[in-house]
Amino acid sequence: MDKLKKLNWGYLGSLAVSVLLAFAIGAAILAVAGFDPLRAYAAMAEGAFSSARHIGDLLEYAMVLCLTGLACVLGSRVGIFNVGGEGQLLLGAVVSCQVGVWLGSFSPWIALPAAALAAMAVGGLYALIPGFLKVKVKVNEVITTIMLNTIAASLCQYLAKGPWKNPNKNMVAATAQLDPRLWFKSLIPGSNLSTAILAAAVITVLTWYVMEKTSKGYEMRLTGQNPRFAFFSGIKTDRLVIGCMVISGAMCGLVGMFRVYGVEHLYRSSVSNQYYFEGLTVAMIAGYQPVTVIFLSFFFAILKTGAQGMELTAGVPNQIYLIIQTVIIFCMAAESGVFSSLRAGAQRRKAQEDIRRKEGRDHA
Amino acid sequence: MLEDILSGIFSAGTFNQMLRSATPVALAALGGAMTEHAGIMNIGMDGMILMGAFFGVLGSWYFGSAAAGVALVLVMGVIVGLFFALFTVKFRSDEFIIGTALNTFALGLTSFLSRSIFGTAGTKGNPALPTVHLPFLDAIPFLGRVLNDNSLFIYVTWALVLVMWLFVYRTPYGLWLRASGEKPETLRTAGIAPERMKWLASILCGLLCGLAGAHLSLGQLQGTFAEDMANSRGYIAFACVIFSKADPAMAYVAALMFGFFDAIGLRLQDYISSDLTNTIPYVITIVMMVYVVVRSQRKKRHAGKRLPQRQT
Repeated sequence: MDKLKKLNWGYLGSLAVSVLLAFAIGAAILAVAGFDPLRAYAAMAEGAFSSARHIGDLLEYAMVLCLTGLACVLGSRVGIFNVGGEGQLLLGAVVSCQVGVWLGSFSPWIALPAAALAAMAVGGLYALIPGFLKVKVKVNEVITTIMLNTIAASLCQYLAKGPWKNPNKNMVAATAQLDPRLWFKSLIPGSNLSTAILAAAVITVLTWYVMEKTSKGYEMRLTGQNPRFAFFSGIKTDRLVIGCMVISGAMCGLVGMFRVYGVEHLYRSSVSNQYYFEGLTVAMIAGYQPVTVIFLSFFFAILKTGAQGMELTAGVPNQIYLIIQTVIIFCMAAESGVFSSLRAGAQRRKAQEDIRRKEGRDHA
Repeated sequence: MLEDILSGIFSAGTFNQMLRSATPVALAALGGAMTEHAGIMNIGMDGMILMGAFFGVLGSWYFGSAAAGVALVLVMGVIVGLFFALFTVKFRSDEFIIGTALNTFALGLTSFLSRSIFGTAGTKGNPALPTVHLPFLDAIPFLGRVLNDNSLFIYVTWALVLVMWLFVYRTPYGLWLRASGEKPETLRTAGIAPERMKWLASILCGLLCGLAGAHLSLGQLQGTFAEDMANSRGYIAFACVIFSKADPAMAYVAALMFGFFDAIGLRLQDYISSDLTNTIPYVITIVMMVYVVVRSQRKKRHAGKRLPQRQT
């Protein structure tokens, strides 16, 4: 336990230094591109908290980051990297939307669970493909999931333009709109924040609990760290890995449903703008620790909402957000790299000194 | 109807399109073959291509010449390669994390710079690379039309495939490069630091992926940059590398196969929605990956009972 606390402090210190460094490098890039970094960052801080609407958007985005980040952690815990969350999210969005359109005349008590189940089923099944290929055929899941992302994006585009297109001719590449009775209630008027965040909170706590507090969670950790040992300890590793991948996909599908029923109210490609990859980045920065993912989601949601506000007020492209986010990763990797090479250097010097001392003794 | 489709598919136009679609992937796959031989899992190629595409257009726009654009791409390629090696070789960071972060970083940086410099998400109409007309090809009926009048880099790629193949299999550096991935300790015993070969592989990969991007923006699209224009080509290139076991010549063949299906997809757009035909090359890539693994597993079938283990 003491050791764990120590590690956490080391992690927090490295995170804080990395964030500061990333902002400094971001400032340098802003300055090179001809913007005033201080003004830009001030606009960023203001953009995140300037109005209730922005705070609502911020919380909604934190929800998306948290769920996608946890979906990524779920896979990496057992040693499979789900990079295909984007495709699972999009498919979940388009299918749940269409289910809602079909069941529009039913009570929300029937239509909403049906849509959620559909989103989870389609996301889970889509994640089953790379999961099965990884476990049973041993095909690298990173490539298959990335390919499946592109395939899913095209498929959704096809569905939104073709069979499920909006009856209104002016709406291009969008499905029909949901009946307003089925929309998640908005919590802050005018913002993206809806009651979906309550469901998300439940899922978050549940995921954390299973991963950290149950024997299943322990089996998962063991499988990820040493699959052979886990296999010989009697854990059904194949089934566990595929299961985690499917649940991870189902979570991503559900995020798609939340985006449709909470924000867009129909399917179009703006349902997700590579959101899964931002969640994945958060999971990486968090070192795949669920609790850290939850906290960092809020931090990066503030950054992203702020960056969007900054684009409006100071005219700085909001992509600086992606730059800062990834530079944090590089800084953290560099820090641990520098420290470990320093440590290795110190050890080498010590060994050399020992040899020299020993030689000196032998001569004497 | 079917005859129309078939004659459309097996026309000179399709095979010409195959060459065009294959070339950026092939160039990146050549680079990926280098890092693969050096034992680095490089999934950051997509970002490297994107950087090449952007800095090619930036140089071409700023200096008013495509050659200057390519020069800038070469400089940036070395920098990106050094950057990648700094983390994967020197700091021994997780290759998956660094590769993914590099891709996202490239997306953020190129989009940010494009919007800051050009004011929009993209730019077009900048000085482009020339197309090459080889008069002696006119005499050959079918092949002539396929091979002639292509963008410069399509021919450069042929030369590079040969050069890289000779480099890997016929020079001492190539031997050391392969040893640095397969038997690093043996190489060290022979007096050569495997790290040094890994740095070299990473720089070569940065250069070749940069060229792939430059071909995409300055050659194929005639001086155009669009956001995220690498469009997962880096990952397809990675699949080609695995398919070819990092043999440059076979990697080019794999890229041609990808190009062929891409071209067929474009042909079929007259009959089926383009959103569906766009998926063909990606589906083929997955099939290709499965085929490679199944093939290699069949070879070591008698290696005993299968145990769960991480695949490389």
